[in-house]
Amino acid sequence: MELDFSVAWTYLPVMLEATLLTIMLALVTQTIGTSIGFVFALGRTSRFGVLRFAVWAYVWLFRGTPVLLHLFFVYYAAPLFGVTLDALPAAIIAMSLSSAAYNTEILRSGIQAVHKGQIEAAEAVGMRYGRIIRRVVAPQAVRIVIPPYMSNFISHTKNTSLASVITVPELMLTSQMVYSSTYRAIEILSLAGLIYLVLTSCLTGLQLWLERRTSYEARGMSRRRRKQFLGASDASVRMEA
Amino acid sequence: MSKADSPMIEARDIRKAFGSFQALKGVSLTVGRGEVVCLIGPSGSGKSTLLRCINHLETPDSGVVRVDGQPVGSVEKNGRTSRMSARQVAQMRSQIGMVFQMFNLWPHISAIENVALGLIEVKGMSVAQAAEIAREQMERVGLAAKCDAFPEHLSGGQRQRVAIARALAMEPKVMLFDEPTSALDPELVGEVLQVMESVAADGMTMIVATHEMGFARKVADKVVFMDDGNDVEAGAPDQIFDNPKSDRLQRFLDKVLA
Repeated sequence: MELDFSVAWTYLPVMLEATLLTIMLALVTQTIGTSIGFVFALGRTSRFGVLRFAVWAYVWLFRGTPVLLHLFFVYYAAPLFGVTLDALPAAIIAMSLSSAAYNTEILRSGIQAVHKGQIEAAEAVGMRYGRIIRRVVAPQAVRIVIPPYMSNFISHTKNTSLASVITVPELMLTSQMVYSSTYRAIEILSLAGLIYLVLTSCLTGLQLWLERRTSYEARGMSRRRRKQFLGASDASVRMEA
Repeated sequence: MSKADSPMIEARDIRKAFGSFQALKGVSLTVGRGEVVCLIGPSGSGKSTLLRCINHLETPDSGVVRVDGQPVGSVEKNGRTSRMSARQVAQMRSQIGMVFQMFNLWPHISAIENVALGLIEVKGMSVAQAAEIAREQMERVGLAAKCDAFPEHLSGGQRQRVAIARALAMEPKVMLFDEPTSALDPELVGEVLQVMESVAADGMTMIVATHEMGFARKVADKVVFMDDGNDVEAGAPDQIFDNPKSDRLQRFLDKVLA
């Protein structure tokens, strides 16, 4: 069998269009999953037992069952609640729910890694829960969770390919459609693989950038904060301004 | 009784248990305005727990704490006691400075931001206002040159001085020191004690849990010896160190001063 990569070139526009859908699906569900995950992580670390248990049960359920099952379930169960969902909204819901479970655990680990003494020191100056989370816990937790969070984001991005099974025309399903009409599976799958690699490489780059940005001791005070807190006495600051 | 005569800190019959361990078995303590009280005693005797009950980092099982006449943690109304709201507790805490054994500086912000954060977040000051006060406090503890340093780049003694500046910046009515030099290398203890001494000289009401007997003798108006969750003996430094009455204090002093 001879390989003919001109097919990949011919179908590149179609594949790129599908890639846009893959990107959208990954970004939207990761964003929703992170938002829910953040709230749930606070619940998981709350002093209220009922809340802790409810979140634990959620994570247990959604982390303990396959995403593929969630996709089918949401897609087919929606009519029971009197709505018919298109494939894309069903995929967004299913993948957000599953992303939320993983992100709950990742963000919780970050929150709990912040030393208790840090929180007590904030309480001792009179800060309250919301501000302690925002000014003391979150900035430190963010740095701690970047590696596991980004790893999960990367595998989540690849998992969007599962949405193909409920007919969301993302990259994987589009690839299948293209090679079943052209009989050029190797070429098209290679192209799809290459596109996935580009996407995940972007995320790897983002991770590096975030890790560097949050290594606060190495970077020192930002120019803006230096100016705010140390005054304009610093000559370099004055020149910048 | 006029306000000026009333004690600054009043803790009455404080009891606190952690599980089956009785950390405080009914401790009372009165600290006058501008007074410095040192708590001495073996580890696990309840010194830290008492301090933490005073600013309500621990909720006492029973007993009353008042700072400047104001109850901390619970309010009495028509003979019934109820717990304070989170907002009221936070409000009281902002008037009670606390310095921890492990410093507990926030590692993600510079020294001056550590000092300024409470002013911005609790007192609602602008960054400019807070920064100015923070600079003054950093100067007060002798660290004006270290404002932009992150905690990780400071020595233990410097970290503890930043922590003291952070507490002082809030202009508290009282300062609580929970073994402030116990985690320090011996050669760094002096610089921290010196700052504490100057804070005392400025008239701050202070309670200091400490193993530094030299400091207690020199700076304290009153020394309280605690053992096994009880306040065993209290008195002027001379009396405690030179004329201990109880056996337990005698034995403790023999050990630490040997």
